[in-house]
Amino acid sequence: MPPSLCALCKTSRAFILRPKDHQKLCKPCFISVFETEIHHTITSNNLFHRGERIAIGASGGKDSTVLASVLKTLNERYNYGVELILLSIDEGIKGYRDDSLETVKRNAKQYDMPLMIVGYDELYGWTMDQVVEQVGKKGNCTYCGVFRRQALDRGAAKLGVKHVVTGHNADDVAETVLMNLLRGDLPRLSRTTSIVTSTPSAVSSPDSPSHTNIKRSKPLKYAYEKEIVLYAYHKSLDYFSTECIYSPEAFRGSARALIKNLERVRPSAILDIVRSGEDMARLVPGGNEACSNGCSGQTALPEEEEGGCGSSNGRSAGGEMASMEHQLAQNDIATEVGLEIEITSSSLNGQQSGKKKDPDAVQLVNGKKGRRLKGPAQTPRKTARQTMGQCKRCGYLSSQEICKACVLLEGLNKNRPKNNIEVSSYAPEQEHGHMNNATNAMQKLQLGVD
Amino acid sequence: MSGKHLPKEIAAAGQICRRCRAAEAFLVVRTEPLCRDCFIKYVHTKVIKRMESFRVRFSAVDQSRKLLLPVSFGVSSLTLLHVLDQHLSKQKERTGRTGFELQLLFVDTSSVERASPEPQLVSLLKGQFPDHSCTSVFLSSIFEDESTDSEADFREYLPAVAQADAQPPSAEQRLEHLMKSLPSATARSDVMSVLRTRLIAKIAEEKGCEGILWGDCTTRLAEKTLAETAKGRGFSLPWQVIDGDSPYGIAFNYPLRDLLKKELTAYADMANPPFSSLIHRSPGSGQLSVSSKHTTIDDLMKQYFESVEENYPSIVANVVRTTSKLQAPPSQRTDQFCRLCNMPVTNGKFGIHGWGGDQQDSTDALPELSGNGLCYGCARSLPQVTAL
Ligand SMILES: [Zn+2]
Ligand SMILES: [Zn+2]
Ligand SMILES: [Zn+2]
Ligand SMILES: [Zn+2]
Repeated sequence: MPPSLCALCKTSRAFILRPKDHQKLCKPCFISVFETEIHHTITSNNLFHRGERIAIGASGGKDSTVLASVLKTLNERYNYGVELILLSIDEGIKGYRDDSLETVKRNAKQYDMPLMIVGYDELYGWTMDQVVEQVGKKGNCTYCGVFRRQALDRGAAKLGVKHVVTGHNADDVAETVLMNLLRGDLPRLSRTTSIVTSTPSAVSSPDSPSHTNIKRSKPLKYAYEKEIVLYAYHKSLDYFSTECIYSPEAFRGSARALIKNLERVRPSAILDIVRSGEDMARLVPGGNEACSNGCSGQTALPEEEEGGCGSSNGRSAGGEMASMEHQLAQNDIATEVGLEIEITSSSLNGQQSGKKKDPDAVQLVNGKKGRRLKGPAQTPRKTARQTMGQCKRCGYLSSQEICKACVLLEGLNKNRPKNNIEVSSYAPEQEHGHMNNATNAMQKLQLGVD
Repeated sequence: MSGKHLPKEIAAAGQICRRCRAAEAFLVVRTEPLCRDCFIKYVHTKVIKRMESFRVRFSAVDQSRKLLLPVSFGVSSLTLLHVLDQHLSKQKERTGRTGFELQLLFVDTSSVERASPEPQLVSLLKGQFPDHSCTSVFLSSIFEDESTDSEADFREYLPAVAQADAQPPSAEQRLEHLMKSLPSATARSDVMSVLRTRLIAKIAEEKGCEGILWGDCTTRLAEKTLAETAKGRGFSLPWQVIDGDSPYGIAFNYPLRDLLKKELTAYADMANPPFSSLIHRSPGSGQLSVSSKHTTIDDLMKQYFESVEENYPSIVANVVRTTSKLQAPPSQRTDQFCRLCNMPVTNGKFGIHGWGGDQQDSTDALPELSGNGLCYGCARSLPQVTAL
C-alpha cells in the first residue's frame, strides 16, 4: 500500500491518524489544525478581550502545559493582546508536587510567562501534610478536594486577576455529563457544559477583584485528550507525566471507563456527548437562561463543581455509589409508605383514588421555582444545593451559609495542636479497593482497536 | 419454572414473604423478600398503575380505544403483553368490556439483521394470545409507502441504489443498500431502530391507535438515556423516555418503566401460563465481542447497566426519573423536524457542523440545508448523506 498523503496539504506524507475523526495528517498540518481549532473556540465564544490579564491554572500536567503553549502561540499569532500568567497551587504535600512544580517553573521560562505559586498554607493556614497529620490519611481527600476547588480562585484574587483558564478537555466534559446523568444531577450537568463559568455575585468594584467574581473558562473544551497528548509529543513539550494520586470516586470512575470504551467504538462519541450535554442543558427545567443561546453564555459555578482529576472526593468516597443507592432505596420505601397512606385517605374522599404520586428524582430540585419534592423522605444533602449564596465567612459562592472550606477549616483550627509535631513523610498511595463492580466491568472490557 | 435462573442476589432462601407474611419468600425484590404470588402481583401492579388513563370507566361503551403493542420477542415486550392480556381478561370478566384493545405488531428485520427472531414465533404468538389482532411487517415496507409527503420525505435523501436496468429497486433492495452504506455497527443499529420506530408509529396511526405501548423497562430506559447521549441524540431524550405525545403525533407510553430488567426476567421464568418458549434470545447476548468493529454503543450501555443493576438498582431507577424531568421545549409551528428520525430540531441546528464543537467556520449559508435536514444524531450515522 503506498504511503497515504496528508488529507489537508495533500503533499506531505501522513503520519498522524487524528483521534477525533481518523483523518490522516502530516505533523505540521496536525499542529496547525489543532491550534486553529482552539483559536476558533476562543474567538467564536469571545473568551478573551484585549488587555485582559489571564491566569492559566498550571499543574505541570499535559493539559495545562498544552494550554499554556497554545495560548502563547495564538496570542502572538493573532495578536489577542492578553497578558498570560501561570498560576500554580502548592498543596503542601512533601515530595508530591516537587516535580510538577519544577516543571511549571521550567515552563515559565520556556514560555516567558510570570509564574505565581500559591500555597495552601498561605490560603488556608494549613498544608496538606499538616491536615493529614491532624485528621489521618483517611478522609484527608475531602479536605484536598474542597480546598483545591477554591484555591485557583483565591490564588487569582491574590494576583488581581479576574479570569482563570483551565485545561479541562472534551474527555473531562463528556465524563462530567455522563457522571451527572448517573448521579441524577441535572442542574450540575447543565452548568458544567458551559465553556465559561463564573460566580454571579460579581458586584465588587472592578479594581479590586475578589475571589467571588473570577471568570473561569476552558479553551480546550472541545479538544480530545488524545490529541492533547499528540500535540504535546510532537511539539516536544515539557510536561510532568504522572497518574493522579487520587483514584476517582465511583461515579466519575465509572463514567471515565465508559468514555474510553465509547471512544473505541465510535471516536466521535466524546464530542457527541459534549453536544448532547449542551442540548440537554436547555431542557433542564428552571435551568440556565444563559444556555438558551448555545451554552456559550456565562453560568454560575458553585463550589465542588468542576471535576477532573483529583478534585473528587477520592478514596474516601469509594462507596459513593453504595451510599447513594442506600439513600435512594430508603426514599423509595418511604415514598411507597406515603403512597399507601395517600391512596387510603384519598379513596375515602372518593376522589382521584389511587392517583399516582410521582416519586421525584432525588437530586433534582428547582431552586428558582421552589418546587418542593414530594414524598416524605428526601436526601438531606440535596435540599439546599441550588440556592446559591455567599459564604458568610469568606464570601465564596456557596450553597450553605458557611462554605465547605470554612467548615473544614473551623474543625481543623479548633483542634490545632499547641505546637507542631515533627513533619510526617506522607507518601500518597493508590488505593483501588473501592472501585465498584460497574467500573471494573467496564475496565475489564478491553475492546480491541481495529 | 423454578428459580434456578435467578441471580444469586435476588434469591431469598428461607425467608417469609413480607407482604402476605404466610408463604415462603421466593426472591428479594428491592430489599423485600416476596413469595411467588406476591411478586406476580407486584409486577402487575407496577404495570397497571401506568395504565390508569385507560381504565374501563374512561372508555365510551360504543368506542374502543386501541393501543399498539410492538412485540420484539424479547422478555420485556412479552412480559408487557402477558400482564396486559390477563388484565384485559379480568376486566372483561368483571365488566363485560375492556378499557382498551391491544393491537400486536412484529417488525421483521431478518433481511438486514442476522440474529432476528424466527418468523414462526409470530404464529406461536397468535396461538397463545388469540384475543388480540397481530400483524407482522417487514422493516423494508417503510420504503413502500405510496403517500408522498414530498417535503418531509426522508427516502429521497438516502443513498440511491445504482440502477443497472430500468426496474426501480425493490423496497428490500433499498433497505439493504442503505444498511450496507452505513459506516459502523453503531450506525447500523442506530438507523435500524430509528426506522423501526418510524414504521411502528406509521402503522399505529394507520390502525387508528391512540398510543404505542413500548416495552422499555427501567434498565432499558437508563441504557437508552446514556446511549442516546453518546450518539449525540441528547436533545431527543424527552420524547424517548417520557410518557406523552411524540413528534410522530401519537402518544408514547412506557408501562414497564418502574420494573427492572432482572424483575422481568424473573417474571418470565415463573409466569403462568408460561411464555418462555416465545422468547427470542439473541445468540451471544450479554457478551460483548472483543472487536470494537462489531460492538455498538447500545451494546456497551446494555452491558454497563446490567452490571449497575445488580448492586445499585435504585441508581438505575434514579437515572430514569432524572431524565424524565427534562422538559421538551414547547412545540411551535415553526419547528423543523429531522427528515429521518422526525425529532424536532431547534433553531435549525441540523447536521454535525456549525456548533462549538465543530471548531471551524461553517460553510453552510443556509442552516436548514446543512446536514440535508438530518439532526445531529442522524447526521452522525449517515455521513454520506450529509456529504451530498
Ligand atoms: Zn499536511
Ligand atoms: Zn467560606
Ligand atoms: Zn407473599
Ligand atoms: Zn434525526
